[in-house]
Amino acid sequence: MSMEDYDHLFKIVLIGNAGVGKTCLVRRFTQGLFPPGQGATIGVDFMIKTVEINGEKVKLQIWDTAGQERFRSITQSYYRSANALILTYDITCEDSFRCLPEWLREIEQYANSKVVTVLVGNKIDLTEKREVLRERAEEFAEAQSMLYLETSAKESDNVEKLFLDLACKLIREAKQNSLVNSVSSPMPGEGKTISYLNCCS
Amino acid sequence: MSETNSSVAMKRSASAGSSAVSIDTIESLTELDELERVYQQLCEEEKLVDSELEGLVSQRGNIETKMLALQRMGPNLQLIEGDASQLSGMITFTCSLAENVSSKVRQLDLAKNRLYQAIQRADDILDLKFCTDGVQTALRNEDYEQAAAHVHRYLSLDQSVIELSRQGGESSAVDASLALLQEAEQKLKALVKERLDQAIADGDLAQVERFFKIFPLLGLHDQGLARFAQYLCTQLASKSEENLILAVGGELGERRAALIFADTLTLLLEGIARIVETHQPIVETYYGPGRLYTLIKHLQVECDRQAEKVVDKFIRQRDYQNKFQIVQSSMMRSVPTEKMEPRELDPVLLEVAVMNARAELYLRFLRRRITADFEVGDATAPKATAQEHQQSMEKLLKHCLLSRTMQELIGYYIPMEEYYMRESVNKAVAMDTFEKGQLTSSMVDDCFYIVKKCISRALSSSSIDCLCAMINHATSVLESDFREVLCNKLRQGFPATTLQDIQRGVSSAVSLMQSSLQQGKFNTMAMGIESAEDAKASFLVTLNNVEVCSENIITLKKNLENDCAKLFSQGFGSGEQAQAKIDSCLADLVSTSSKFKDLLQEGLTELNNTAIKPQVKPWISNFLSISHNIEEDEFNEYEANDPWVQQFIVNLEQLMAEFKAGLSPVIYDTLTSLMTSLISLEMEKAVLKCTFSRLGGLQFDKELRSLVAYLTTVTTWTIRDKFARLTQMATILNLERVTEILDYWGPNSGPLTWRLTPAEVRQVLALRIDFRSEDIKRLRRTSKRDLLA
Ligand SMILES: Nc1nc2c(ncn2[C@@H]2O[C@H](COP(=O)(O)OP(=O)(O)OP(=O)(O)O)[C@@H](O)[C@H]2O)c(=O)[nH]1
Ligand SMILES: [Mg+2]
Repeated sequence: MSMEDYDHLFKIVLIGNAGVGKTCLVRRFTQGLFPPGQGATIGVDFMIKTVEINGEKVKLQIWDTAGQERFRSITQSYYRSANALILTYDITCEDSFRCLPEWLREIEQYANSKVVTVLVGNKIDLTEKREVLRERAEEFAEAQSMLYLETSAKESDNVEKLFLDLACKLIREAKQNSLVNSVSSPMPGEGKTISYLNCCS
Repeated sequence: MSETNSSVAMKRSASAGSSAVSIDTIESLTELDELERVYQQLCEEEKLVDSELEGLVSQRGNIETKMLALQRMGPNLQLIEGDASQLSGMITFTCSLAENVSSKVRQLDLAKNRLYQAIQRADDILDLKFCTDGVQTALRNEDYEQAAAHVHRYLSLDQSVIELSRQGGESSAVDASLALLQEAEQKLKALVKERLDQAIADGDLAQVERFFKIFPLLGLHDQGLARFAQYLCTQLASKSEENLILAVGGELGERRAALIFADTLTLLLEGIARIVETHQPIVETYYGPGRLYTLIKHLQVECDRQAEKVVDKFIRQRDYQNKFQIVQSSMMRSVPTEKMEPRELDPVLLEVAVMNARAELYLRFLRRRITADFEVGDATAPKATAQEHQQSMEKLLKHCLLSRTMQELIGYYIPMEEYYMRESVNKAVAMDTFEKGQLTSSMVDDCFYIVKKCISRALSSSSIDCLCAMINHATSVLESDFREVLCNKLRQGFPATTLQDIQRGVSSAVSLMQSSLQQGKFNTMAMGIESAEDAKASFLVTLNNVEVCSENIITLKKNLENDCAKLFSQGFGSGEQAQAKIDSCLADLVSTSSKFKDLLQEGLTELNNTAIKPQVKPWISNFLSISHNIEEDEFNEYEANDPWVQQFIVNLEQLMAEFKAGLSPVIYDTLTSLMTSLISLEMEKAVLKCTFSRLGGLQFDKELRSLVAYLTTVTTWTIRDKFARLTQMATILNLERVTEILDYWGPNSGPLTWRLTPAEVRQVLALRIDFRSEDIKRLRRTSKRDLLA
């Protein structure tokens, strides 16, 4: 296991249809390999990678979920505590793109409101088989105010970037949050406003 | 002789070389002095050489004796030389002889090998003949084992040898044998298949096993295993179908009926496990290692089929799907159309957990057996083969229909279990009761009982993912739902009314109204004494509840860790993955504990601000109405009738009695700590507003001592530190003269650490009416070491 001292800990959950390449993306990032002939994920897989960003140690807890329908209820239980969601589809599979609204509904229902969502179009190495145009996906992502990135787990294109950019964004948001909190949190001593009195349900 | 000479010559040349004077030098000499000096030197050298020569000459006799001896040895040497050349001749001869022999040996070896091969071939041919004859006889006698043994012998012969033999002289005879053998082989294969099929049809186990054993001898491993498995599957199917009919229609006792589908599935899986157990030895013995996988693969097909039937029946009979849909829709909508009693879900949830646990147990059994069987054969095989075997086994076990069916059941189970947990917790909250004399109310125990029950049930399913999902949901229920309930209760606040306030009449009523207005609680006035009392109790109970929650969460996590360790020690969820997943989910769960702690802290601060501060502040203000600018008479009067501190202590005692009775000791202690901080802060302010005479200072010192002594008895926290500043103020107010402060300050302070700044010290000194301000000011200027600057 990696060392316990870190400056940030983030939970990243990968979701998306079966076979779009979630496991391959995670393996590429955490182990630097493209696994040949590994089967569909059962339930959820869990991996940890610690990276250093601007001198800060960032521990990424990566939950690779199964895309198959019957695992949906297991997967859903991880949304709430996720800091970021990587919603993946396969650019060579129109169907996986058309399911995105359904996934967004899941996110809406189960994830916490501050979650960062990235849309990822995977398998760009299969250029000649592309079914979803980049522009179309970009447009969709923008409309849903998601980040968008195209990757190839096979060729290792943009995989590192995907996770590192995400980590950067999470660090930025975490810092912003703690700033907001320290401003609004009452000073100790007299006249302290009780924060639970203000907290909204 | 020559040897001696040369050695002398060498010595001489050495000494000549070492002569300090060369001929050239001598010839170039012109001065007498120098000549004389060189002459002297040469003379000395000559003397040295002479003595050396003498020494050498004296050795002559000795050397001559040695020469004589050597001359006498001459003939002997000639003899030796002759012997040596003779020996050399002999060695050369022996050597060529040896080489000769070894090449013959090599030839012999080659011949021997060829001979062996010839014998082997002859043996093979003989065997071939023997097999040919043997097969015929065996077949005639229906001794299939013998016939198969012959065919096996034939099959294991070196095919190239047979080919060679056919090209040899005996070709026709061999050909004939071969043809016969091949014919017999085909015949035997057909026969054995037919007989095995017959035996399977008859359900004759002895015959099935008999022919099953013959298959590998004929090289028909896969076919044999497939047919045997087919037989086993037929048995399995009929037994399982029988069981299912019994399950659906049977008149069983209430207790068995509740788990009848789980029981039926268990019977099926145990049946297969027993089959594997029983037949593994035959397969191992007759088919060799690594074949168990093939057999199990065939059996699994039937297992899948039968398990599916059982589960289908379960789903229909128990209305599983429908229950799920009701739960699903009532969780989606805020006002559900049809609500389901959580209790109604208990039986199906339990049954699914048991079914999955049995399936996991069964799959674990298969994994162990197949792995062990593969390991025997793979020990010598290349690594890639072993990996391939491992992969195909994982694929079989993870993706078989049984696994998928169970995954589907668990997929529905989780939302239902979540619903069960949420609804039950809501109920516990709605039915919350509080009994007088208890610190906590019923919903905390109830809530944790429910959460524990749900997670334990998920754990009993042996599915790590199911367990993790339920831990996640439990975290959500505790952190959001339940914490919110407690938060809301605290948000209602602690009513600022006290019985004394109301008894004290109008003036208090005004202040009461003011404090109520300040808090936006107009109702407090209208609220009867009784309901105000209830609200207070409710607030205190909630604080206790919050504290117990944060402790219970830690206990829950510890217990779960132990339970999981037990599960792992039984071999479930093997691998670090499962452990890491659970650890991570449990870490999330336990982190909610601190959120409850934070809530407790906020609640206590609220209590301190609304219930303690408004009371304590006026009591401390009373201190101001007692003059500390006093003389002997008044001091004595105070001595006899304490003017303030005793009443203050009594008041505090009364105020805190309610909290002491209503709060758990730990919380009460934290509250008293907040209170003492408040008192020391307020006292300080009051003191700075007073003036003191010498005796007034003494009076204050007495009062402070009483107060600190009292507060020390009510809390386990150290009071001294909180009252350090006040104590130091009392010290200052007790001085005889201004300059006396220098005995306590700076290098004279000893173990005392001043908590007051120099400015504050001067400020306190100024409270003494008998200290002149010039003296105090002068402290600054006169103090030699800038003591109070
Ligand atoms: N050409 C190409 N193939 C890919 C890429 N990423 C994944 N694949 C292939 O896509 C298939 C599915 O990949 P997985 O990573 O198992 O997909 P998944 O999203 O994890 O699927 P589930 O676990 O069932 O949800 C595999 O055969 C991979 O080899 C990629 O970038 N390029
Ligand atoms: Mg996967």
